[in-house]
Amino acid sequence: MITLVYGGSGSGKSAFAEDLVCKTNYPNRYYLATMKSFDEEADRRIEKHRKQREGMGFITIEQPTDIANTIVDADSIVLLECMSNLVANEMFAVERNVSFTECADKIIDDVIALSKKAAALVIVTNNIFEDGVSYDEGTKEYMRALGLINERLAKLSNEVYEVVVGIGIKL
Amino acid sequence: MNLVIGGSYQGKTEYALNTFPKARFFNQAHLFIKKRLSEDKTQEEILAEILETTSEGQWVIIADEIGNGVVPMDANERNWRDIAGQILIELAKEATEVHRVVLGIGQRIK
Repeated sequence: MITLVYGGSGSGKSAFAEDLVCKTNYPNRYYLATMKSFDEEADRRIEKHRKQREGMGFITIEQPTDIANTIVDADSIVLLECMSNLVANEMFAVERNVSFTECADKIIDDVIALSKKAAALVIVTNNIFEDGVSYDEGTKEYMRALGLINERLAKLSNEVYEVVVGIGIKL
Repeated sequence: MNLVIGGSYQGKTEYALNTFPKARFFNQAHLFIKKRLSEDKTQEEILAEILETTSEGQWVIIADEIGNGVVPMDANERNWRDIAGQILIELAKEATEVHRVVLGIGQRIK
């Protein structure tokens, strides 16, 4: 069972996804954090998210790449936060250059493997596609990968929500 | 207070005028937030000012969706995106109705 939560930056998609998870009764709630800290701003962002989910009963697992390797209980719910960081880590953190299709294939395989380990999986992903800016080739490749992954995730998901100003719209 | 949100050039203003013909309008709220940030106002101060301005009578706040893009290189732009998002979430909580406009088509989402 996969639920996809899609939205822009500052849309309230994380809080919406956390709320979804908190409405369920699985014995364990895992928060799969994919963001790597590389500067003070990232630290602040991570801290903000930590505060936001405080008291919600999440067990945090930091897994910036290779989410298929995550160890979780079979009757648990996993919140993957978020796909845009995971794609960036998988694409840019490794030495070798991966194409966007290779990257998408690998991540989708990992998602499927992870979803089989847990009872439910909620994935937060980003809308970065509507600013009309023509970016450099590296950024475009990243956008292609995330776009393709989002599309495939939507097909795999039982429910898809787009979050706008904190309100979830079922797609 | 009601909120109308959507990308730029989506027909938000016309939709808002048709949907709320008797209301007063607080247009371009995203730019108002940007201006106040440049004057070193905090998120809380800006939110309070917008709520105060729109507290009497029927008001419609119109704002552009600015969060649906690649993370900006410029720190001020990043900060604006984050703060505008947070303020709009708070305004949506306070609003009686929230409408989202895409291609001139409005959807009531609250």
